[in-house]
Amino acid sequence: MRKNWWKALGVVILIYTYTAGLLIPLKPGILSVNPSNLNSGEEVTLTVIGYNTFFTKTESELRAWIKLDNEHAISATKIELVNDTKAHVSFNIPSNLPTEDKVTDASLVIDNDQDGAMVLPSKLTIKKTIDVNPNAEGWTNAPITDLNRKTGFSFPFRGILYETIRNTYFHVCLWFAMIILLITSVVHSFKYLRNFRMEDDQKSMSFTMVGTLFGMLGIITGSIWAKDTWGTYWTWEEVKLNMTAIALLIYLAYFVLRSSFDDYEKRARIAAVYNIFAFAALIPLIFVIPRLTDSLHPGNGGNPAMGGEDLDNTMRMVFYPAIIGWTLVGVWISQIVFRIQRLKEKIMEF
Amino acid sequence: MIVLKEIIYLLRKEILLEWRQKYAISGILLYVLSTVFVVYTSFKKVEPNAWNTLFWIIILFASVNAIAKSFVQENSSRQLYYYSLANPTAIILSKIIYNSGLLLFLSFLSFIVFALVAGNPVKDNFHFFAALFLGSIGFSITFTFISAISAKANNSATLMAILSFPIIIPIILTLIKLSANALRLMQDTAVWKDIATLLAIDLILITMTFILFPFLWKD
Repeated sequence: MRKNWWKALGVVILIYTYTAGLLIPLKPGILSVNPSNLNSGEEVTLTVIGYNTFFTKTESELRAWIKLDNEHAISATKIELVNDTKAHVSFNIPSNLPTEDKVTDASLVIDNDQDGAMVLPSKLTIKKTIDVNPNAEGWTNAPITDLNRKTGFSFPFRGILYETIRNTYFHVCLWFAMIILLITSVVHSFKYLRNFRMEDDQKSMSFTMVGTLFGMLGIITGSIWAKDTWGTYWTWEEVKLNMTAIALLIYLAYFVLRSSFDDYEKRARIAAVYNIFAFAALIPLIFVIPRLTDSLHPGNGGNPAMGGEDLDNTMRMVFYPAIIGWTLVGVWISQIVFRIQRLKEKIMEF
Repeated sequence: MIVLKEIIYLLRKEILLEWRQKYAISGILLYVLSTVFVVYTSFKKVEPNAWNTLFWIIILFASVNAIAKSFVQENSSRQLYYYSLANPTAIILSKIIYNSGLLLFLSFLSFIVFALVAGNPVKDNFHFFAALFLGSIGFSITFTFISAISAKANNSATLMAILSFPIIIPIILTLIKLSANALRLMQDTAVWKDIATLLAIDLILITMTFILFPFLWKD
């Protein structure tokens, strides 16, 4: 047990990842608002649908604003709560807009002491119905004050992503673990070329095998995620997806190469050479080229992946351990594969 | 200096060998010609977009065929003889230089033939030929090294394709983008970034070749 504590650690971390990652609720948020196209000068009642919200269980009043920019906003005139996730909010929209544009977009802000402040950014559009110069009359300057904060653990509520934000702990973390395993495999290949010990070759092969397995799992989880958010399992437009498919092809070719040799020594040497060469070719594939091209996928073309509101502190508390957990379990599986491989080669020698 | 001398000798040997067995080079030339005609007769009218992709696919397959024989044309005992005489770095470098020259010639020829039968949509000659030049070098490095690997295995023809195609994809994608620019199919201000990417890939691959080839040749 003293020697194998890291296996237990890996399992514990993964159990933590699954329970925390799947059970911690999302922050309350605004799912939709209807109608979303408004005209200036009219009196409207918006039906607001919340997600994970507790509109009726609050002590303080629910407050709501339509916000144009940091200096212009209006508060709601009447609020009627239907149930925990549904509310009717009425506004008197001023007859003029403080902007030159015919149409402007606005955000809806809702606040109460249970759910904290929620924003539905730029979902509302307001059309100017009268044809005069911009005028800020009726719009008050920054009335949005004393906002509440949601306490307790929760994951960010992000439009489009919603609950699938939890896939970060599986899709992204599996990729990180895969990269770590493949690097370990390359290190063992280098070791083999220095000392020509069969053990290093077997280790390198086992790490590559588990790395490839994690890569496939990463593609499957990513594919399901893409279906949910982009509406398709696979798109050839996405450079990152193509590059990962190619990376998998490279490693599948590695196994074909291995199987085409009868002589163990020769196989070990040439597999090590190919493994290092392929990894060097992989670096531009997954680290350089995706960053040069534009894409929808996070981490491309200036599209942030891990920062800002996509990965907040609560998520970090699961995200970083998950990488370690997947890596430890990956190393454990590779160790088992390595032992099987060593036994197989021993049997073949007799 | 000794390595340089060895490279020159080995290059002369390669050229002499090619000259004596003319079937290899003429086979490749005929291969290019017939592929171009197959493509032309099946497409009839080649749009610039298709022209760009088809051109690079033709070059890709012609290059694989031209380079696959690098390490299998001479038998293993004669190779052992070379290795006992020369430095492994000199051997791989002379092969890469020779193959780069061969591919440059091949891609120019393909371009001329393809332009004759399917029209020449290239608007920016400098960028196009820069792509052709860098592409030939990249193809040559990758295919030469992979042919050295696959020559050690039993079914080398299949291995050559499956080992090299995934590795060549970043190069060919960058090339297609570069030449699409030269054909004015797209407007990209960051052409130099693409050229730098190509150069960087070539540099990584040639460094790996230098480090790894000495382990590959000794049996």
